[in-house]
Amino acid sequence: MSVLSYDISISKHNRSLVQIENFRLEENHITFLFGESGIGKSLIAKAVYGLLPPEELQISLNGEPYVEYCERNHTQEIQRNSFFVFQEPSTHLDPLLTLGAQVEEGTLPQKLRASGILERLWNTSDQELLDKILGVYPKPYRPSGGEKQRFLLVMAFLKIDLLLEQMDDHARTMFVFDEPSGSLDNHFRDVFLSFLLEKFEKRKFTTLLITHDYSIISAVRKADPNILKDISYKELSLGRKGLTLTDFMPDNYLKWLHGQKPLRMFFEAPLSPQPLLRVASGMEVFGRRLVLTNMRAWNKQSALEIHPYSMVYLKAPSGVGKTTFAKAIMGLLPARNLRVALKNLTLTEQTPRNIWRTRVWGKRMTITFQHADEALNQQSTVRGTLSGLPRHTMTEQEILQLMAEVFDCEIDDRFLRTKVRYLSGGQKQKLNLIRSLVLDTNILILDEPFNGLDFRSIVQVLDILKERQKAGKGILLISHNEEIFDAVVNPEQVYYISAVPISQEKKTASV
Amino acid sequence: MKMNHNRPEWYIARSLRVLIGQRKDLRWVVLWLGGLSGVWLWDTFFLNPLAYELIRSAIANTFYGALAAVALSLSIGWALGIALHFLEERKSRGPHLALIFMMSLLRSIPQIVGLLIGYILLTWMIGQGILQSHASQILWMAFVISLFCSLEVIDLVTERIAYFRTLDYFHAMLCCGMKESRIINVDILWKSSRSHFLHKLVSLFGVAILLQCSIDFIVSVGLSSDVSLSNFPVTLGSLLAKLDSKQDILAMGSMVLDISYLPRILFQHLQGVTVAFVLVFTLVCIYQIADGLMKYYDL
Repeated sequence: MSVLSYDISISKHNRSLVQIENFRLEENHITFLFGESGIGKSLIAKAVYGLLPPEELQISLNGEPYVEYCERNHTQEIQRNSFFVFQEPSTHLDPLLTLGAQVEEGTLPQKLRASGILERLWNTSDQELLDKILGVYPKPYRPSGGEKQRFLLVMAFLKIDLLLEQMDDHARTMFVFDEPSGSLDNHFRDVFLSFLLEKFEKRKFTTLLITHDYSIISAVRKADPNILKDISYKELSLGRKGLTLTDFMPDNYLKWLHGQKPLRMFFEAPLSPQPLLRVASGMEVFGRRLVLTNMRAWNKQSALEIHPYSMVYLKAPSGVGKTTFAKAIMGLLPARNLRVALKNLTLTEQTPRNIWRTRVWGKRMTITFQHADEALNQQSTVRGTLSGLPRHTMTEQEILQLMAEVFDCEIDDRFLRTKVRYLSGGQKQKLNLIRSLVLDTNILILDEPFNGLDFRSIVQVLDILKERQKAGKGILLISHNEEIFDAVVNPEQVYYISAVPISQEKKTASV
Repeated sequence: MKMNHNRPEWYIARSLRVLIGQRKDLRWVVLWLGGLSGVWLWDTFFLNPLAYELIRSAIANTFYGALAAVALSLSIGWALGIALHFLEERKSRGPHLALIFMMSLLRSIPQIVGLLIGYILLTWMIGQGILQSHASQILWMAFVISLFCSLEVIDLVTERIAYFRTLDYFHAMLCCGMKESRIINVDILWKSSRSHFLHKLVSLFGVAILLQCSIDFIVSVGLSSDVSLSNFPVTLGSLLAKLDSKQDILAMGSMVLDISYLPRILFQHLQGVTVAFVLVFTLVCIYQIADGLMKYYDL
């Protein structure tokens, strides 16, 4: 087994973007690369694959100019034999060509051969449905994000099949999957992983799989033990000394996960008869009725209740409307049949905005939005992000203490003056969480709170949330990261959300 | 002589060189100031003291008026833009419609016609003894100009608010209990739209100079039996309208037929040539600065 090692330096306008020494990849291995978002994982992968524009960036790879690196036989062989699945599939599909036409482009083999892969990744043998998908133009809202992502995976698998047919065991490869499960629910993520491992078993090829999803470890662990020895886990982290690559021990994650227990199991909290928040099932948003169910009664709708000292988890596959639901109960979206009870305050779609402003937002309830990049003002500073909050919040000293705890470092004036746009994705997410945590509201809604965080930060944030729970607060978690939340939330406190189109409902009723 | 690379001056000079080399807007600012300084130096040596004083006052008054117009446009535009947003937000139909009507009315009046009305009012006020000092007269005209220019600022304010309201960060801040007025004024308009405002204000500076000079040129025929151009503070427009400036500019036409006339233009017809040059050069530079800002900030 040979190890590829890279010293990479990438800068733009004399500002360093990535600087790492000894970035190691084992050949013919699958390497899972974890790490907080925005520290340069994708940039490193693109640099190694030879995809970065040398005219826009100053790049040096193993001490040689990037143009020379890209022209090397080694790099060109990799590009010829491999495939790069980009993080954001929408921007990497041609909107003027049908998906079927794009499968036949370049070095990809013919469409007919794709049908087997399509069947596998769509988990269907319905040819009519698959033909329909192949005839679609990738416009913004059709196909869905998950379908677009799976389509790029189809292309990658086509290249893998070509490689398998070549029967050349010495051909250099480097398949890069950048956040391949970002838009996939757990089922389709597992389908993709098992398919990848199946192919890998037939012929080993170098694979770099970038992800934040630590629960992928549990899914991979189910694979054949013969393959496991060819799988490695690494973590990229950004410290005071810059970027470093370390081996990640999957057992550490699994041990931590199995050690998690719902708080109520060992902490006997006095349950108040009146919940802090009660949301009736059946609100109508964007032409769909959002229906809530709970394990206490699967066959009927149940209202979502958050009591003091409780952590509630709202589950659904992506695209069903979890974020829409959260925005609606925060009064940010017009929703019919909205019934939100906050102790002695009832909120409906008729409630004037002024009530939300004066009695709800930041006073009794707050929300952390899922994409920190969009939820924070990129032009603001770290200090500026936390200024202007209501007066009943923590003192400056307490805020600094909380920041030090979440950021796991000393907070100095220089950091407070840093513009949000210069923070890494993980730091932005932490700041996004801190802004809600400092408010100390009774109800805290967290939409995908672990987005972009590394394992260490996930543990820290979860500990802080448990502290809040112990302090009597009610927490609503919204996430597709089922593994972690299933472990920390009491099963009785897990709610499922499903969306029923209202037109379909009316048709059924009339029949 | 060997350069000492450790000295801060060297770093400042180098940074400036790099900055100016990369940024079109800064390059044109330097060119504009350099051009004006060059003209000022030339005039110091070759223009007669009376005309020199006149030009100095004209440039000072014109730029003072344009700057005041820009400042007033920003203040009025910002205030009305915010008012428009909150009136709509709080569903105050009457005041909202009244404001929209007023703005539409202003938009329907050609700017030059509006400025002429402003001059008529100014003439009346001078006649009544209300506005006596030149500074207050310039300020009045700057106010009239700003009424028309502020419409562009209002549009910018409402456009920026509308854009950011669709983003999560507006809602995220609202849900954290921040005041909407703070989110709009500080986060949206100040922190996130400064470059847009800077670009708009630079453009309006050019518009204000052009409008001021155009109207001064037009009203050079006089406004009433009591009040004429001589009552108003001298600006580049009114100076251009003077007979001797016109003759200077006509003299440039002679140069087309006889190039040997060039030295006489540069030494004997300096008043008109200077005014025309400062006006045209300033407008070109401002256009280029605004264009450079647009490219630099990717607006």
